[in-house]
Amino acid sequence: MAEGPILTVEDVYVRFGGVHAVDGAGFQVQRGSVTALIGPNGAGKTTLFKVLTGFQRSERGHVIYDGARVTRRGPHAIAARGMVRTFQLTKTLAALTVLENMLIAAQRHPGERLTTVFARPRAWRRRESEACAQALELLDTFGLADKAGDHAGTPSGGQRKLLELARALMVEPRLLLLDEPMAGVNPSLGRRLLEHMERLRVEQGVTFLFIEHDMEVVMNHSDRVIVMADGRVIADGEPQAVRADRRVIDAYLGTRREEPAA
Amino acid sequence: MTTLAVSLSAFGRPEFWIGVGILVAIYAILTLGLQLNIGYTGIYNFGQVGFMAIGAYAMAILVVEAGWSFWLALPGATLVAVAFAVLLGLPTLRLRTHYFAIATIAFAEIVRYVAQNADGLTGGSQGMLGFEITWQTIAASLQDQLGLAPQLSLVPLLIVAWVTLAVLFAVLLALGRSPWGRMLRAVREDEDAVRALGKNAYAYKLQSFAVAGAVGAVSGYLLALYLSFLSPEAFLASVTFISFAMLIVGGLGSFPGVVLGAVIVQVVLEGTRYLQLPLTDFQVASLRYILIGLILILVMALRPQGILGRREEMVLGG
Repeated sequence: MAEGPILTVEDVYVRFGGVHAVDGAGFQVQRGSVTALIGPNGAGKTTLFKVLTGFQRSERGHVIYDGARVTRRGPHAIAARGMVRTFQLTKTLAALTVLENMLIAAQRHPGERLTTVFARPRAWRRRESEACAQALELLDTFGLADKAGDHAGTPSGGQRKLLELARALMVEPRLLLLDEPMAGVNPSLGRRLLEHMERLRVEQGVTFLFIEHDMEVVMNHSDRVIVMADGRVIADGEPQAVRADRRVIDAYLGTRREEPAA
Repeated sequence: MTTLAVSLSAFGRPEFWIGVGILVAIYAILTLGLQLNIGYTGIYNFGQVGFMAIGAYAMAILVVEAGWSFWLALPGATLVAVAFAVLLGLPTLRLRTHYFAIATIAFAEIVRYVAQNADGLTGGSQGMLGFEITWQTIAASLQDQLGLAPQLSLVPLLIVAWVTLAVLFAVLLALGRSPWGRMLRAVREDEDAVRALGKNAYAYKLQSFAVAGAVGAVSGYLLALYLSFLSPEAFLASVTFISFAMLIVGGLGSFPGVVLGAVIVQVVLEGTRYLQLPLTDFQVASLRYILIGLILILVMALRPQGILGRREEMVLGG
């Protein structure tokens, strides 16, 4: 395994009109870690995710993933390299079946190239059955195997979150960026999701960076916490240290003001 | 255009139905490309007639002006249409859906205006002739071999048009069912989701558009052979809209629906040509389009996914 942080973010800067959504944010994510990204609403967490995964341009600064600068690359190129995101509002494709949702994430599929559909049918059919087996195995792990043939609009919101995570795994990610994975998920499904994350980290060395509002999840399931407020990183450290940080408390609860002088 | 004979006896003539049959095949081919774009990929190509015109004119120009053999001109014309699709798609497929739709309408109109005004190349409104000599020889020998009566001279073209339709239908059906077709449907549902999974959504839209351009070109040179005289009036924007009517009646996302829609719309359009009504020719012509509108309204009300469309995979207003 290569050395050094898997992700280095330097001086990312995004402005919408006069609003500084991300205002010079920078941090690192260590390989094999579970890093939480927290902060009050409007802190710029989701915009930062967009920059990391190529959906949004940063006006300056760099994003270095696995030793290579990906700042100017398109979303698909970044994902194909193994930095894969999920969305705050799930983007399961309702008109496709659950299995088809999984299969569109299969990498290196010759059947997805117009030129090889007719030229090399045997090669892509072999890859297709491989991908099918891989997809069904993942669906089984996530308890979605019996839904494989259903249209992806039918499962519950929590199950769609699981499906989105399972689908992201089809891309064979090394760094998974999860945008509020626990939001709208019932507690038992949420526990399953956390177990899956832990297992993926231990068994496959997947690194996680996730945005989360549930402090219990953040404190108990991450080994590093990055706190953003007003587009900047205001704290970065172990959960216990961050919890006690004055600036973090201020950001969440508002700054204490001195009593006006009498 | 043929004159509007007010006579029901025209219905009994086989020549009439042969002509309708050829037009059904030509429109079905044109609409196959539209189905790939709209039903599968979700890109709103409103300029499909532009590719039809490019296919027809490129074939005619290559044969008449450049002196190419007819057999080379056919793939040549297809490649020209593909090149135009790529050139048009490269800048416009990055735009949002509606802007792309407007750009494609403008493209088809530009093609028609060029055909109308580039006298030296296309003959302008005088039109083009003499590109189908090779075809006439083949058609004549086919007619001999089949022992057909002289008034059935269009039967060879009917056969060729339907064989072409069958081949393209099979090709597009296979493409639609392949992992490539699955990616198009995924792009239609949500481009960002596709990108986030490491797939280049833009490249898929461009490929879909290029294939539609190629298919449009094929319908174009079949139409040229049918008319045996090329003029810009054959490529009005209304051709695309009739094609849309076929698409919606037949069902979005269904290739068999394309053929069914083409049969229904074309039979209604042509079959009402000889209606005996106490109306002027102009009023009868308008009435035919009103009928198509009524059919569209009926389909929308009773079966919004189209006759052969699938409800779970509704593309419009779903």
